[in-house]
Amino acid sequence: MSEGGPRVVLLVGSPKGLEKSASARLGGAVVSGLEERGWTSESIHLNAAVASDLGRRELVETVDRADVVLFASPLYVDSLPAPAIRALELIAANRRVGRTDRVPRFVPMINCGFVEASQNDTCLRILQRFADGAAFEWLAGISLGGGGALTQRVRKAFDLLVEAIDLELLAPVEVDRLTRKPIMPKWLYVLGGNAMWRREAAKNGVRDRLRDRPYQRSAA
Amino acid sequence: MDALTAKAECLGRRGREADRRLERGRSLGYDRPTMEKRALLLDGGLDDGAVTRAAAAAAADVLGGEDWQVTHLALREIEIAPCRGCFGCWVYSPGVCVIDDAGRDVARRAAQSDLLVFLTPVTFGAYSSELKKAIDRLIPNILPFFRRVRGEVHHVKRYARPARLLAIGVSASGSVDPDEEELFEKVVSRNAINFHAPVHRICVLGSQQDDAVVRRRIEDAVRAVIGR
Repeated sequence: MSEGGPRVVLLVGSPKGLEKSASARLGGAVVSGLEERGWTSESIHLNAAVASDLGRRELVETVDRADVVLFASPLYVDSLPAPAIRALELIAANRRVGRTDRVPRFVPMINCGFVEASQNDTCLRILQRFADGAAFEWLAGISLGGGGALTQRVRKAFDLLVEAIDLELLAPVEVDRLTRKPIMPKWLYVLGGNAMWRREAAKNGVRDRLRDRPYQRSAA
Repeated sequence: MDALTAKAECLGRRGREADRRLERGRSLGYDRPTMEKRALLLDGGLDDGAVTRAAAAAAADVLGGEDWQVTHLALREIEIAPCRGCFGCWVYSPGVCVIDDAGRDVARRAAQSDLLVFLTPVTFGAYSSELKKAIDRLIPNILPFFRRVRGEVHHVKRYARPARLLAIGVSASGSVDPDEEELFEKVVSRNAINFHAPVHRICVLGSQQDDAVVRRRIEDAVRAVIGR
């Protein structure tokens, strides 16, 4: 946690946490940009936070104190991972009975393992409903495909996003265009992705078991 | 060869072709219509709400009346660890989650079901955390491989006959908000693509609806999804 200046809270929805996840890396890049402009920051791993009474209390209190909430998460089955949804349930319940005089700005940032960023759109709509119901001001919905790679193009988009957050403006459309642009053609993503799965399975000695059906129902 | 022998030979060949087709169908799981029909009801209610309880009872009752075997899992009472996003279920122990808990049992039951019923309070237009903790653990039931489906990249199915999908949402408000219902339908239709459900339906109920209305709505939705 850093001290002084306006406060950004980074909520990380990836189970891989603050050290290893693409979500934390992406969110961290925006937080770093804000810190360079004098912002203070705090990061919370949602899986850990929702697992204890203390973590849950700290989560809702920290969000209440924020000027900007940056919500970085992977897409899990067209929505958020379960602990991230639990966190939103808690925050929304707290905001209904708590401090609605302060309206933090909300910037969700969703990344998915498909090449098309558009596969995050349903999830962003879920987050928009959350923001509306829990009295947050929607600033921008950031959507990245291709596993959330932090490319030069994405860094450029984040520079624009940081400036918009700092100046209390809506994010320019250029941010959306730059972050949504596919990192490669679909055919190449499919080819490369499938080769990658085979390679990973081969490392574990299960290359020829990839299509196993352990729960195949047999005729009784 | 006389005409009678030729006809017998022809019929024999057709019979062997039919046998081969039958065997091929069996290998793909298409003999399952003769099996007992199974439904898995994943109940993601955060508490024991009246409408949720009535909806679960109605779904089980209607399906039971059609000779379906229904397993009802009240997820709030079941400890299921969150998915770790490690892909171990794809590249380490294919088809089986690396976490050995009740989540494995949910995935096994889902793979062996003909119908998945999701029951949830509509939460920001989608599923509750209780339901989602189970859905996240169904990932072992698809393959890691990518393919294009209607122009989009998706994962390939692991099992030959994925289950149909019925999602029942209970809105927090007394009446159903059309925007909320539209988003709920969108989420479920996206899930149907990713889980390869051949048929899907939704049913969104208001939190104040009485048991008779709930029963009628559920009955319509169940019959639509099972094709009765």
